[in-house]
Amino acid sequence: MTVHINGQPVTAAIGETVLSVIQSLGVRQVARNDHNQVSGAYCGMGVCQCCLVKINGRHKRRACQTVVREGMQVETRVNRIHGQEAP
Amino acid sequence: MSQHPVIVGGGPAAMAAAIELARHGVRSTLLEEASRLGGVVYRGPLRDGVQLDYLGPRYSEALSKLHGDFQEQAGLIDVRLHHRVVGAEGTRSLVVLDGDERLHEISYPQLVLAAGCHERSVPFPGWTLPGVIMLGGLQLQIKSGVVKPQGPVVIAGTGPLLPLVATQLHASGVSVVGVYEACAFGKIAKESLALLNKPQLFLDGLSMLAYLKLHGIPMHYGWGVVEAHGEDELKSVSVAPYSATWEPDLSRVERFEAKTLAVGYGFIPRTQLSQQMGLDHGFSDDGYLRANANIWQQSSEPHVHLAGDMGGIRGGEAAMLAGKIAATSILLQRGVLEEELARVRRDRYLSKLKAIARFRAAVDRYTERGVGQIALPAADTVICRCEHATRADIDRALEQGVQDIASLKMRTRVSMGDCQGRMCVGYCSDRLRQATGRKDVGWLRPRFPIDPIPFSAFQSLGTEAVSHE
Repeated sequence: MTVHINGQPVTAAIGETVLSVIQSLGVRQVARNDHNQVSGAYCGMGVCQCCLVKINGRHKRRACQTVVREGMQVETRVNRIHGQEAP
Repeated sequence: MSQHPVIVGGGPAAMAAAIELARHGVRSTLLEEASRLGGVVYRGPLRDGVQLDYLGPRYSEALSKLHGDFQEQAGLIDVRLHHRVVGAEGTRSLVVLDGDERLHEISYPQLVLAAGCHERSVPFPGWTLPGVIMLGGLQLQIKSGVVKPQGPVVIAGTGPLLPLVATQLHASGVSVVGVYEACAFGKIAKESLALLNKPQLFLDGLSMLAYLKLHGIPMHYGWGVVEAHGEDELKSVSVAPYSATWEPDLSRVERFEAKTLAVGYGFIPRTQLSQQMGLDHGFSDDGYLRANANIWQQSSEPHVHLAGDMGGIRGGEAAMLAGKIAATSILLQRGVLEEELARVRRDRYLSKLKAIARFRAAVDRYTERGVGQIALPAADTVICRCEHATRADIDRALEQGVQDIASLKMRTRVSMGDCQGRMCVGYCSDRLRQATGRKDVGWLRPRFPIDPIPFSAFQSLGTEAVSHE
């Protein structure tokens, strides 16, 4: 299946998490928090809230806990309070 | 109300409890937040058909046995994946968020809580840089069998997980710069006798060290992190020899290029639910809060059972034994087993648990954190990631006379963010205990919902309640 990370089409496998797709691109900077700090995946198991991404228009989704679905639109390093666009 | 026992969690404790119940013909409902069963220890690969040879034959055997036993009983286990328990209504029902983000209330006649643990953070300058990751999370990434972590990797912290992950990383083809165990070798050697309570684990440990030596991966005892460097993400790591109390010798700092720094300092039980239910808790010697259970794995509410690491950190094998004891107690409570037979079974599991407890106690002694760890962060190092509270904020609160975690929270906002303090509670508790000299400085109280949920989730709870009327 194909998902889009910051507009870039990426091939993903059934059962894979959004985080593992992001990691497959070699990307370490994943989230931007309410204090404008950029973070990467830290705990990897849904506890630390450091891999929050925007998925299909919805903010603050845990990349490590979300299983990919066909056509998913994922944006990294975006935060509602800090309206930066992902580069 | 569900007539079946409900099990919270999908790791080894939960799976073992469900298997034991099913073997006696008792159906159960199992709620797991992840997309796969097995917890963190026995999580299978994300993709089917992935071979995980590099994790070692004994691990693969244990993994396939647990999942195989579970599969045999699958007809009597109602598995609900992607189900997140976000709260408790007293000790009779749970509030659960399903995979479609709708809230439900699920009541139970008996409950097994097996929420497990999360990793303990020890903050240092640069620990929030992308590329610094917790050891268990990194291991999950290797186990998922999809994407390898970016090398070179530096591994630091304390405990038996360090050489294990180094071995698995190297075997999966990732370059490991070195392993930095903060505790001195002598401290570990002193525990050899106690560690021999689990001879196989002890031997596995020795063979891991031999493997690392064979492949030229240096294992440094009595060394630890000083700082992680990088502008936007991790570029290099500084390490130095630690004193017995973890004060780094800054005249002997060494710096290595690294794409990944994996840190592991042990674990903290996930007590958010058990606290919210008002169950009895106590503090471990390591300083973490844990839910209290009796020899039947019953909490202070006898129909609510605890199994696995949320009652104290003992690992996957102990979790399975505790899960079986909890199930045995439920079988007794439901009149499926007679008291005498239940007692015999419980005692058999308990005797196996004792050897593990002695082994774990030895691990806990050698991995004890030195007091120097609380001075590792700089004044501007962020301690609470969610609310951006720095070490200076915490220092100031302590100077102003803050004596417990609840007051620290009100002064500094630590733990008021999305993770509810799971990442900073270890450091905050250590600081307070050090500053006050008290063993009990309180613990962070969880708030409903214990995980962030969208507002829209409440709509379904409302309509559900209406349709019931």
